[in-house]
Order: sequence, then C-alpha cells, then structure tokens
Amino acid sequence: MEPKPIDWEKLASIIETHRTRKWNLIPLLQEVQETFGYIPPESMEPIAEALNMSPAEVQGVVTFYAGFSLKPKGKCVLKVCRGTACHVKGSRSILRFVQNELGLQEGETSEDYQFTLETVACLGACFLAPTMMVNKNYFGRLNPTKVSSVLNQYGKSKEDDGSP
Amino acid sequence: MESIFLTINGQKVACLSGDSILIAAEKNSIPIPILCYHPDLKPHGACRLCLVENEKTGRLMASCVTPAAQDMVIQTASPRVLHHRRNIVRLMMAEHPESCIVCSKGNHCELRRIAASLGVGDSGLYPMPNFPSYEQMNPFIIRDLSKCILCGKCIRADHELVVAGAIEYNHRGFKPRPATLYERPLEESICTFCGTCVSICPTGALSVKNTAYVGTPDQETDSICGFCSVGCSLSMGVAGQKVVDVNPSKSRASVNGATLCVRGHFANDYLNSPARLTRPLVRSKDGEGKSIHAPAAWDEALDAVVMKLSAIKREFGAGSVAFIGSSKCSNEENYLFQKIAREIFETPNLVTLSYDTGQALAARIDARTGGMCRVNPLAELEGARVIVVVNADPGRSVPVVDYHIRRAAKKGAALILVNPWKIELNRWAGAWMRPDYSRPSGPMASDFLLALAKGLVADAGYDRGSVEQATDGFDAFYDMISRRNGIAGEAVDAAVRLMKNQKIAFVIGADTLCYPDGAQTADAVANLLILTGGIGAKRSGLFVLLPESNTLGAMDMGMMPDHLPGRVRLDDGGNIGPDMEGFIEGIESGRIRAAYIMGENPARSLPQPDRVAAALKKLDLLVVQDILYTRTAAMAHFILPGAAAAEKAGAFTNLEGRIQMFSPVVQPPGEAKADWEILAQLIWKMGHPEHYQSLEKIRQEIRRLVPMYQGLGSHLQGWIANNPKGGKPAFAMDFPPVSVALDAAHPFIARLSAPRHHLGGGTRTGRSERVRAYGDHGAVEISPDDCRVLGLEVCGKVRLVSEFGKIERSYVQSSRPPKGMAIVPMGENQNDAMGLAGLSGKNRPASFGWTVSRVGIEKI
Ligand code: SF4
Ligand code: SF4
Ligand code: SF4
Ligand code: FES
Ligand code: FES
Repeated sequence: MEPKPIDWEKLASIIETHRTRKWNLIPLLQEVQETFGYIPPESMEPIAEALNMSPAEVQGVVTFYAGFSLKPKGKCVLKVCRGTACHVKGSRSILRFVQNELGLQEGETSEDYQFTLETVACLGACFLAPTMMVNKNYFGRLNPTKVSSVLNQYGKSKEDDGSP
Repeated sequence: MESIFLTINGQKVACLSGDSILIAAEKNSIPIPILCYHPDLKPHGACRLCLVENEKTGRLMASCVTPAAQDMVIQTASPRVLHHRRNIVRLMMAEHPESCIVCSKGNHCELRRIAASLGVGDSGLYPMPNFPSYEQMNPFIIRDLSKCILCGKCIRADHELVVAGAIEYNHRGFKPRPATLYERPLEESICTFCGTCVSICPTGALSVKNTAYVGTPDQETDSICGFCSVGCSLSMGVAGQKVVDVNPSKSRASVNGATLCVRGHFANDYLNSPARLTRPLVRSKDGEGKSIHAPAAWDEALDAVVMKLSAIKREFGAGSVAFIGSSKCSNEENYLFQKIAREIFETPNLVTLSYDTGQALAARIDARTGGMCRVNPLAELEGARVIVVVNADPGRSVPVVDYHIRRAAKKGAALILVNPWKIELNRWAGAWMRPDYSRPSGPMASDFLLALAKGLVADAGYDRGSVEQATDGFDAFYDMISRRNGIAGEAVDAAVRLMKNQKIAFVIGADTLCYPDGAQTADAVANLLILTGGIGAKRSGLFVLLPESNTLGAMDMGMMPDHLPGRVRLDDGGNIGPDMEGFIEGIESGRIRAAYIMGENPARSLPQPDRVAAALKKLDLLVVQDILYTRTAAMAHFILPGAAAAEKAGAFTNLEGRIQMFSPVVQPPGEAKADWEILAQLIWKMGHPEHYQSLEKIRQEIRRLVPMYQGLGSHLQGWIANNPKGGKPAFAMDFPPVSVALDAAHPFIARLSAPRHHLGGGTRTGRSERVRAYGDHGAVEISPDDCRVLGLEVCGKVRLVSEFGKIERSYVQSSRPPKGMAIVPMGENQNDAMGLAGLSGKNRPASFGWTVSRVGIEKI
C-alpha cells in the first residue's frame, strides 16, 4: 500500500502562512509534520524557497530533531519506553513481544502504514513502568496480555484516525 | 575600541576588547593550535583544539570563542592543556581511517601536522572509523567523509564565503556529516565546484581529484588566475616543473580571500595539455608535398616573420598589416604589441577579441563618467546597501564577484535585477525587471533604467548636492527625464523605493552592447550612478563584468582601434582602425594581407567562425603567437610558442582597476618563451633602437607615458588612477527609441552564455582534463511556454537556425529563460554556438551583437 498522497495545496497554504519569516522554520516544520505525519522530502525545497534559506539547511534542521521525520509513519506510532525504570521492569521483553506481534523492528513502519514502532529513552511516567505510548495515549504496567489488547484495539479499527 | 591587558604564558599582552583569547595570542605571536578556526569565518568552537587554561579559575576553554578579558591569566601549553589537547587529537585519530600514506591531502593535512606536533602517533584507543561514504564520480572533488572531523569549515565556507548553501550538517549524535540535499552526490546538488571547501578542509575528507599527480607539491608559488577579470590570487603547487595543484593564495590582500571558482581551482590543468606549443613552427611541405608545420629555431622563425611582415608593408602599405592583441596577455605585452603596430608598422589595424564584448562598453562608461570612476574595489560592492545588476549572470561569468553580491545580500543589501533571464541571485531580488527582446516594443533594459531615473527624480530621491556640484547639465537632464513617458509597474516602483536616497553599486554585464539598446543601457546606468552621487563614493561604484583576466589592461595599454595608451581617445578624424568585423571584411576584400595574432583564437571564439577561418586562410601571412595549438594556429604560416600567466612575469589589471603583478611559477614548456620576450626580440630585430631586455624597462616606459599606470611596478599590487586631469561626469541626454524588427523565420532570441566551467569560447578550459571529464553540459535551455508551442517534451534534441548558421543540441525545459529566449551554452562542442551569431553587431544600430542572436527552433 502507498502512503497517503500528499495534499500539495494544503502544503502550499501552510508554507504561505510562514513565508519570508526565517525564524519560522521550526513552527513551519512542526505544522507540516503535524498535518502529514512526516515532512515530505519534496517539501524541503519549497520551504527553503519561502524562507530564503538553502534546502540543505532545512534538511539539516529536519534531520537534527527526532521530532521530525522524513519518512511517512503509520497511523499509530508506538513508542516503547527503554528507559532505566522500564528496563528494570522488563521493557526489553515488552519490546520483543511488540516486535513479534507487529513483525516490525525499531524505526520500521508496517506495509499498510498502520503501525510505526519506535523506542524512547524515558516517557516520564516511570511510576507506571513498563510503559509505552501509542500516538498521544499512555499505557502503563504493561504485560503481554495488555499489549495484545492495546494492539488489537488499534489494529482492528483501520478506518478511524488512530484514537481508540 | 579600548585596549585590555592580560597575561598569556607569563607574558603581559595587550589586545582590543572583543578580541578572543586566540586573537590576543596571535597578535602577540603566541601560537595556539587550531583546526576549526579560520580568520574569514565566524568562530565555531567545534574542535576544542585551541583550548587554554584560565589560571585563576582552573577552567579549560576554547580560546577561539572565548573573549579575552582584563587581567585574565592564561596558559596555552600547560601540562593540563597539553594532556587534554592530546586526548582530543587521540579521539579524532581513533575515528580516523589509517590511510595517511595514500591520502591526497598529503602534507596539507592539518590534523596530521597537529598530531605530529603533539606527539600523538598511535592513538592507543580502539579504532572506530565510521561512515563509509566515498564519492568521486565528479571530476573535481573527492569526498571521503570517513576522514571528516566535523570542524564545520566546509559548511561555513559554503554558507559564509560563497553563499551557495550546497551542504549542511545532517543528523546528530555520531552520525552527522556535511551533506547535500537528500544526501545526493555533489554533482546532483547545487554545488558549483568552486572548491572553496576543499582548500579550507583541514583533513583529507575533501580533496582535489587529481588524475596525473597525487601527493604534496615540491613547492608553492603565488600567481594570478589567467581566466576571468576578477584576477584571483592563486597559490600554485609545483611538482617536477608542472603545476599540479591550485589553492587560493594565503595573501590577506587578495580580491578573492579564501574563495575561488571552478575554473581557477580546477581548470588550470590545461597548462599540462599535450596541445601546448613547445617550439616555433613554420609552415612547410613534407616529402609528399603536403603542407605541415615543421619545427624551427627561434632566430630563424623570428627573422622570417620580420622579413615577411616588412615585405608586405613595403608592397601594400601600412594598412595591409593587422594586429590582434589579447585580453589574456599582460599589460607589458599589450603595450609592446600596440607599439609594434602603431610605431613600427604605422598601422591603425589593432584590436582585441574583447573589443565588442567589454572594452567598448568600458570605454563608453569611462567617457560618460569623465574618467572619474576607474577604480571600483569589490569591497565597496560587498559593503553596498543597494545593488543593481543589469544584463549579467555574474555567478557564471565572474563567480567571485557573485560571492561579493551574495554576501552583501545576505547581510541585507537590497538587490535589484534588470535581467531578461533568471539567475541564481534572483533568490535575493527585491525587484526584478525583465526586459523582453523577442517583441518589437520591448520593454528593453534601457526603458527600465530610464524609468528608474525618472522615478528617482520625481520622488526627489537623488543626491542633489553631489549632482549639482559634480556635473554640468543637470537641469537639462531633469527636463528630459521628467518629460519622458517612462514605463511604470510594480517592479519599477519597488526598485525606486529601494534606491531612494541611497548610494548604489551598479553591476553591468560585459556584453550589454550586444543588445539592440546596449548603448542606451550603458548610458542609462552611468546616468543613475551620477544621479545617486555614486562617483567616488563609498558603498557604490560601477562594476563592468569584463570577460578576461586583462581585458581592462589591454584597453589601457591602447590595444584598441580608437584609444591610445592611457584611455586617450582618438578623434573621429584621426586614424581609427576597424572593429573586428571591419577587420575580417578588410581581409576578405584583400585590403589586409598580413595578420599577427597574439593569444587569441578567432576561428573559435568569434561569431561566424567559418567565415573568420575562411578569411584567415586568405591571408598572405598569418603569424600566431599562442600557448595552444588552436584552430587559428593550425592555419598559421608561423607559430610562435608563448607562455601562460603561470609561466612568466607580468601584470594584469582586473575589473576593479587593481594592477596585479605576478612572477613565474614554472618555466614555459619546451622552448616556449614569455610573450613579452618574443615581442622584445621582434622589436630589436626590426631595427628599433629600444632594446627591452627586462620587464622593468617596459614598465618604466609605461609609467612615463601612461599617467594612470603609476601603480605598475615591482610590488605585488597597485591601482590605476582616475583621470589625472580631473574629468567631469556628464549626463547622457540622447535616448532615441529602439525597436527590434520581427523576423518570422527566426522568432526566438538565442542568448549565448558560457557556463561556469568554461571561460568564453573555451579554448583553454576545453583543454582541461577535468573539464573534459565533466562531460557535455551544452543543453540549450528553453522556457516551458516555448516548449509547449514548439511541441517539445521535457528534454530531447533541437536544431537552432539563425541567419548565420545552425547547430544541433540537446535541450532542457527550464524556468531560467523567459518566453521567447533560449539560453545556449558557449564553450561546449568546439564552441559551435558561435555559429549562430553574426560578426556585425555593435555598430549596426538596433541589431544584436556577438552573444545575442535571433534564431528559429526546430524539433529533431
Ligand atoms: S569535510 Fe573537512 S571541512 Fe568539512 S567538516 Fe569535515 S573535516 Fe571539516
Ligand atoms: S565546492 Fe563550493 S559550492 Fe560546492 S560545496 Fe564546496 S563550497 Fe559549496
Ligand atoms: S576564473 Fe575568475 S573567479 Fe574564477 S578563479 Fe579565476 S579569476 Fe577567480
Ligand atoms: S523509564 Fe520508562 S517511563 Fe521513565
Ligand atoms: S579552533 Fe577553537 S574550537 Fe576549533
């Protein structure tokens, strides 16, 4: 399956609202990331043009921040915590379990663009360890059964926008 | 700025407040090792090698980014500093591949030098080389980023000096490397192969792709680039009597600083071309009666040349002998050459190939400004707050001028373009007026410029005080310009707003006179300069982007039909020789029977090259003095091998009016000689009393006769002088309407323009192995609108047909040219593009000159 085609008009209108304001690069990128789920690589040149920067400079900023991605992500982005507290509580097996269930390695996206699997250093919810996030929702005190039910919850409802 | 005092290594030193500790140490000759610092770049603090210890606090800090403070006590080489410095280098080495022996950076590698000086051999750490990328598909630059130490110098040079924006850090953590957009190879990026990043890179991560020689040159000598009129200072590396490496000179007084362009950096390998002439050649017959060029001794060849030239003069009169001098030869050589023509042969027939594409324009502007605008330092262009660019593509023709404009624009200067086609500078343009020569009624460049003057006068946005003081006839000009029906429009209004009450720097393309309204355009620009009080002012000037290294010097030395040395104009009644077209016509009609051509290749560089070649073949005597076996040389009766700038001493005058002396880096190949020596011998053999045995003797004579050349001498640099008699600028008043007639068979305008890697017709750059390996970049650029009308796909092949000839080329659809114009690269394909243009140009009013031609376009 292809990722959703880019809505060029929408992209252009986002860029327009930030035109010629060089300091707007990060807010502009955030808006693009927010809208499309990633920064389409083809958008770097028009963005650079609008802010009077060189495209390579825009790329430098995009690749510097973990929050920006040049690859399309799945509808549901899973962030499994690999921080110290979660590690102690067995997050390694949680990660393995998720990897097996989804058939994905870290950083990968499923072919149907339903799931993207990522790891993070600490989700800031250590008291719930082991934890993971799916899009903007936290899930804590995980065990394989709970993970399965979370995955099902997101996997079955392909039509919706990723909220349970 | 106030002075502050501090102690470094126990020594009391002074510096200015605001200086970094590194600068303070440098000013007092205390060495601190550096890797990422460069005086032309903003301090970056990336490598930490420059760390020093603050004795009072015990802190270690990077001296290049730490400001010096009053009463600081600094140690630059305490045991603690050395310990940490060594560790930093050890960590770099641990990441570094062990390929020093074969690294093409050789002894230029600063990392290796510093490691050695700190006694770091084996790092003793677990080696963790990273990043396998190795890139060398392009013929200029090798990128081996496994050797990158992330000093960021290349990126800063790319952003701050040449303002290209081709590379930037990518990723973070252990992964970052200088990367192009989409991490593509350089040749697929916007990189111009200026090589600035290569020279500045302290390691072998970026190095020059050498085919013939790898390693460190035996010695390095400074010279001046012999290509364009910027005249960059070069440091040429020599191994075994050959130039094997070129970098920007370390001289702090150079026009180019740490930058160069692709030609100066990479195309000088033409010096070692097998096509170099190494001994005098004389046309003779071989055993089977076939005409060949046979080697001859110098004396024999020169005696024969003198004899034959004199015989022709005796038989057919002085007007039968003609001389073509060269914008590539030095001031001294052009001076001698015009002396031979004017004094010994008493002929008015002398010209250079840059007459129509530069010298005539420069002379016109000189006359308009009363000779008071001869010196235009590029530093003033970079400092300008408003820059107007007319009919020019400086990024390709004179890249180092372009860097100055880009740096100015980056600092916030307003950029106004009056240019038919889009150039890279459009990225910064505050207003863009787009002349259209494909329609009879324009608007043309001069229409826009006159509208700007009208706007400034109407808004009282001009420099009243200086105008009234420095010029006559302002009232008449005021009336004339106010009464004109100027064209209006958003771009004109925007430009007037930006120009109002400002000092302005004007940049004008060398072949402006090739447009039908070229003379009016030149005059209108001079008017604007006078009107804005720019003559002699700071942050201002008029920069004529002349084509070659000594176009201006050749003109100043009187190598021109209508000017004597020192820009002394001959009166109309005087003995003025023909321009280039008249020259060729003179040969065709049999009036001119002998020609002596020094350092030019008219059979390749001029329009209608086949007509030119046929004419040259007709001559009773053709003497060619050159460095390469060119198409023109192949037709000569005598070939005299001269020397390139790197192989002789002399002086060029660059477009700023800076006289730059150079001395030989290597000897001329074989028996070849410096051109001035050849000419001096000829003069002697012709029985002239003057014997020019040294360059200084010629220079003395020039200084005596040409007051504006007092700066010519044995030091490295001087400047020409403004009109010593003190001229007065005068407004041009005469702007007759110009219109171009339509021509149904040739409805498009072909604009011939050299790509960056060629200079003009490419006689020399086309002999560079690297430029040859770069491949064909000759595709004609056609606008999407025209492609649609012509039924052309995105790319393919077309035939361009003009009144004078036709060529076949590949084409690309491009947004650079406007509708109705095709951009045709010169230099490629034996410079066949010149076949489209007509020799008659400048002097036929309302027609197109050498680099602009009317064509039809057919799909094939
Ligand atoms: S490539 Fe060279 S100049 Fe660029 S960051 Fe690496 S070491 Fe420094
Ligand atoms: S060669 Fe010049 S344009 Fe290319 S990356 Fe280096 S500095 Fe930039
Ligand atoms: S060709 Fe011109 S800009 Fe390029 S290096 Fe030579 S003098 Fe400088
Ligand atoms: S370690 Fe997992 S939430 Fe903090
Ligand atoms: S030279 Fe100061 S940190 Fe590199």
